[in-house]
Order: sequence, then C-alpha cells, then structure tokens
Amino acid sequence: MGKIGIIAGREFNERVRKKSFIITTILMPLFLVAMMFIPMLMVNMKSNTVREIYVVDDSGVIADKLQNNGSLRFIPSDMPLDEIKEQSLDIFGVLVIGENIAEGGGAQLYTYDSSTIDIESEISTQIKDIIETEKLKGYNIENLSEILASVETSVPLSVKQFSESGEAKDSSSVVAIVAAYIFGFLIYMFVFLYGGMVMQGVIEEKSNKVLEVMVSSVKPFQLMMGKILGIASVALTQLLIWVVFIVVVGGGLMSLLAGDMIEAAQAMSSGMPMDMSAMGGMVMDADMAAAINTLTDPAYLFRLIGGFIVYFIGGYLLYAAMFAAVGSAVDNEKDTQNLQTPISMPLILGLFVMLTAMQDPNSPLAVWCSIIPFTSPIVMVARLPYGVPAWELWTSIGVLFASFLAIVWLAGKIYRVGIFMYGKKPTFKELFKWMKYKM
Amino acid sequence: MEEFLRVEHVSKQFAGHKALDDVSLTIPRGSVYGLLGPNGAGKTTLIRIINRITAPDSGKVFFAGRELQPEDVGRIGYLPEERGLYKNMKVGEQAIYFARLKGLSRPEAIRRLKEWFVRFGIESWWNKKVEELSKGMAQKMQFIVTILHEPELLIFDEPFSGFDPVNANLLKEEILRLRDKGATVIFSTHNMSSVEEICDNITLINASHNILSGSVDAIRRAHGNGQYQLSFRGDAAELRNALGDHCTLLDSEEGELDRVKLHIGAEQSVRDIIAVANDLVEIRSFQEMIPSMNDIFIRAVAGKL
Repeated sequence: MGKIGIIAGREFNERVRKKSFIITTILMPLFLVAMMFIPMLMVNMKSNTVREIYVVDDSGVIADKLQNNGSLRFIPSDMPLDEIKEQSLDIFGVLVIGENIAEGGGAQLYTYDSSTIDIESEISTQIKDIIETEKLKGYNIENLSEILASVETSVPLSVKQFSESGEAKDSSSVVAIVAAYIFGFLIYMFVFLYGGMVMQGVIEEKSNKVLEVMVSSVKPFQLMMGKILGIASVALTQLLIWVVFIVVVGGGLMSLLAGDMIEAAQAMSSGMPMDMSAMGGMVMDADMAAAINTLTDPAYLFRLIGGFIVYFIGGYLLYAAMFAAVGSAVDNEKDTQNLQTPISMPLILGLFVMLTAMQDPNSPLAVWCSIIPFTSPIVMVARLPYGVPAWELWTSIGVLFASFLAIVWLAGKIYRVGIFMYGKKPTFKELFKWMKYKM
Repeated sequence: MEEFLRVEHVSKQFAGHKALDDVSLTIPRGSVYGLLGPNGAGKTTLIRIINRITAPDSGKVFFAGRELQPEDVGRIGYLPEERGLYKNMKVGEQAIYFARLKGLSRPEAIRRLKEWFVRFGIESWWNKKVEELSKGMAQKMQFIVTILHEPELLIFDEPFSGFDPVNANLLKEEILRLRDKGATVIFSTHNMSSVEEICDNITLINASHNILSGSVDAIRRAHGNGQYQLSFRGDAAELRNALGDHCTLLDSEEGELDRVKLHIGAEQSVRDIIAVANDLVEIRSFQEMIPSMNDIFIRAVAGKL
C-alpha cells in the first residue's frame, strides 16, 4: 500500500499543480452554465428582428384584429397578392386570408424567406382565437366577457409519492427529470474525462520509458493502482471544489429568495388556502411549490449527491482500469482508437438508456441497465431522483464494485504484459491472450 | 571468490520464440560481471528475470545464498537501457520520488541526493525541469537514482551510451568505486573496450544460450591462438631464416624497429625461439598477441570459436 500511496501522491501533486487543472476547475462550471443559458439567449436574440407581414384579407374580419408582437408586425393591405409581389418589398411575406375563413376555408402564407414553426403557430392561433370570439359574439350572449373570465380556471396538481414507510412526500417530475439529466450526463463526462486521463498517463509513461525504470522498484499492479487512485483523488478534489462552490452560491441565492417562498410552498403542498398578499404578489403554481419542497428536502438531496459520488467512484474505477489496460497496450495515442471503441460503447449506450430512463425510470430496460455494471453508473444515477427500491440500489452498487475488482485484476494482467510490448498495434484477441500469460 | 548471484538452468519462452534456453551463470560477490551478447540474444530478459519483472518458465535464481525473494528487489539497483524520466517534473523532486519508491524516507533521500549532486557537480539542476536537460545530463541523474539506495547488486544496461568520453570516464570510476565498496555489478553492453577495462568476469549470451563464461583474462588467454610479436634491431633476413625452422612466420614489417609476427605451435618452445633470436638480433620486445574481447565476441557469435 505504501508504494501505491507514493505513486498516487505524485499523480495528485503533479496534476493539481498544473495550470490546466486550475483552469478547468474554474471554467467547467462556467461552461456548464453557459451550455444551459446559451440556448435561452439565442431564443431571445431571435425575437429582436421584427418581421413584417402584409395581410390581404378577403373576409374583412381578421386583418385589423391581428396583434403585433415582438417579432411579428401585421400590415393590412388593399393590394392583391400579385401586385405586392411585383413591388418586391422588403418584407417577410404576405398572409392571404380567404373569404370563407370562418367556415374552414383557410389562409395562405407566402414568404420570401423560410418560415418557422413559431411564426406559423402564432398566426394560426391568432386567427383561430379571432374567429372563435367572432362566432361567440354571434350568439348575442349578455356579459360575454365576464362569463369568459369567470370560466377560465387553472388546476394546480401537486403530486405526492408514497415512500416505503407509507409517508406521502412531494414529488416533482420537473426536478427529477432535470436532476436525472444533469447527474447522468456528468457521470458520463467525468468517466470519459478522467478515464481518458489515466490512459494518457499510462501511454506517456510507456513512451517516455519511465515504466522501464519504475518496474524494477514497483510492481506493475501497484503502478496501475497508484495512477488510478491518484487521478481519482484529483477528480474528487475537483468535485469537492465545485460542490463547495455550488453550496456557497446556491446557499446565498436561497437565503435571498428563501424565507417566504419556502413557507408558501410548504403551505401550498399541505393544501392550506393561500394568502396571496403574503407572497408579495409572487405567483406560485403547484409545480414550483413541489420543486422547491423537493430541493429543500435534505434526505432527497443526500440520496442524490451521495448516490452520485458512489456511482462516480465506482464507474470511474471500473472504466479507469480498462482505460489503463488499453493505454498499456499501445505506443501512442493514435493507436488507441480501435481498442477504445469497446470501452466507449457501453458508456454511450448508458447515455441513451439514461434518456429513456428519464421518461420511464422503471422500465425493464432501465432497471437492467442500472444493474449491469458497465451502464449502471449513468443509468442508476438518472433513476435515483425518481426513487429506486433499496434492494435494486444495493444490488447495483454491489455488482458495480465486485466487477471493479474483477476488471482491475484482468486489466492488471494486460497492463503487466502491455507495458513491455513495443512496436505493433495489438488486437483485442492479443489482449485476451496476455491475460493468460504467466509472468 | 564468494558467490553472490547464481542463475541455474533458466529458460523463458515467449509467444513466438525462446528468449533464454537453459542459461546458467554464477556471479562472485564484489566483482563487475559483463553480460555480453548481440541484440536480441536474451540479455534483457535475463536481467528482467533477476529483477523479478518477469518469472522464468523453469530454472532458479539464487541471491546471496538463497532463492531470490520478492523483497530482494529492494537490494537491487537497475539502470535499464531505455532511460525514462517524467519530462515535466523537476529534477530534484523526481529524484526524491524514485528514491522513495526504492524505500528511502524523504529526508534521507534528500540528504543522499544533495551529496551526489555535489559530487557530480550538478547542484544547480535541482530545480530545473527534466525537459531542459541534455541527454547526458538526464542519464547522470538516472545513474544517481539507480545507486542512491546503496543496493548490493547493481545492474547497468549499456550505461555509457550517450556519454561523452569525460563523463563516461567519470561514470566508470564511480562504478569501480562502488565495486570496491562491496557492491556486485552486472554490466550489459556491446562496447567491448569497456568490458576489457572494467569487467572481471563475463558471460556471452548468443541466440538464448550461454556460449562463453569466465574471467576476462582467462578467456582472452584461452583464445590466444599462439601468435606472438617480436620487435628488434638487427638483420631481419637472417632472423627470418633462423626462425623458420622453429615456428611459422606470419608477416614482418620494417621501420624504425623491425617487427615480425610468428605463430608458435603447442609442440614448440617459446624459450627456444627467444634464445635463437637473442643470438642474432637485439630484442626490444616479445609479447603474446592476446585477442581483444571484440575479436572473441565476433568470432563467438559467428560460431567460429
């Protein structure tokens, strides 16, 4: 153990002191936040351009009732379509509304540019609303607008799930789906990132010939384990920094928002009548209340974060051992391609199963893949936010760590042979043969 | 001389070929032992077996009187032919790392390293990165790391490759000094002149077999094929005539000193020949022409021994 410790210590010190470690530690959260916000920003940017649409209205009811919004401006026009076309105006397009639109006649949109689903649904919704309102008016009902306002209702549906002890707890599908996605994806990314780091490290040592110097004082297995554990401690350090960062920032945000909101959310979920004025005019629906209650439930958070760390460690160790074996077999990174494929495949498969598990966390596919060790780190972490029966969880963890031991043993055998093999690119068949070598 | 390491009937088979076939040798304590052989003969495999990096298929290795144990590896210092260091690490830190893997504590490693760095005049490298060092500098550092834990058995694989003559000499002196302090040295090389200079005994491995073992002096004498050189002042023609009856004349050359090379068969007496020559000319030197290790090596490998 002593030598493994010295090796792991070197790996840790060398990597943590590197500039790239500090940079990725700072940039990664920014990168993840950017990944989430850039699509939103892009949606907003799109609405900055105002598209002008000429409306040729043969029915005479629609044109002046169309509402302009941030991105669309409707201009009623008397000219027929052909004439507008000849003038080649700088507009987005022409909306032609047929005479018998109210009877299901329909409308046509002619555009110079390609149209989008947003624009089309905006236009058809507006026309539909206008026609419906016109038709209602045709019945000559008194106080129509008051009746319509009083008819409008929204139903807050709060979902509670029975826990094994029979207690009903708030369950938020929104939180679960977001947490499942984020955690599953993080595991996938980290296993690849840090597993790849192990592989690179082994290749570097082999092509530098450092291994030749080392093997006289250390057993190959110690070398491999030292490297894997050293990089694991780098990964955990990085995670810890991020967790502290999130707790500090998140805690800060919580204390700003918290108080009233959490109280209100708890009140709401317990079915008490709401005092809107106490919330300072904040509108809260059942989804949001459930989300806040779920996120402030320590047991839930503990299960999520604890599960994430356990599966990250297990998944990383399992894959790092395989990556180390591949690294030992080749001379340079270019040759890793075909050996790496069989390792990456189950990881990528795990990612796909995770996406289906988010929809249906208890489907047989999701359950099986959360027990098979090669996919379980990703799939099980994605199922955790929805709640997983204890026996499945423990079986999965047990299988994961048992197979880690088995894989490390096999990888060690490949590693021991691989680090002295130079020159030719080994095939998978040869790796299997190496496992049987007596050294 | 007391035996230190004994290799007994060691064989090792790899997928395609036999790397070692029934190789035996004995290395006396406190000597420099040359392990010679052409590329691919099996030297490195033998060294790895002694280092317990690989295990032999059959045969045994005895270390200091008993069978080689895993913990004996700590008593061996190995400088492999392929030198390798972490390029991005600092020299001092890296040397400490390797020393700790050899079982030295950090303070002890630092103390000994400082001593050696001063000895080799390289104190100023301590905080340099390895990538800034020249090849020879890196090898000096690696030499220090190899011997730092004062192992009883030192194994050097081609230690002089990459060194200029000055540093090669420095290294040679250090190796001999370590031997004089009691270390046993195994020395694998193709460089035959260095073998003559520092090896006490050798084993020649060719095509996975031990084809020649013994002390350097004895081997060279044993392979002397009865050739002698006589240099003299006097009448060369007369001498050649007189000697022709007693031995075979090979060639002669004239210059400031005349020389004649002769072959003296086993049935002929060196004393008679010297007596004949002494009567005719003034003898300046008479010596047996002992073959160099290089000649022996080439002839042995070609199977003409």
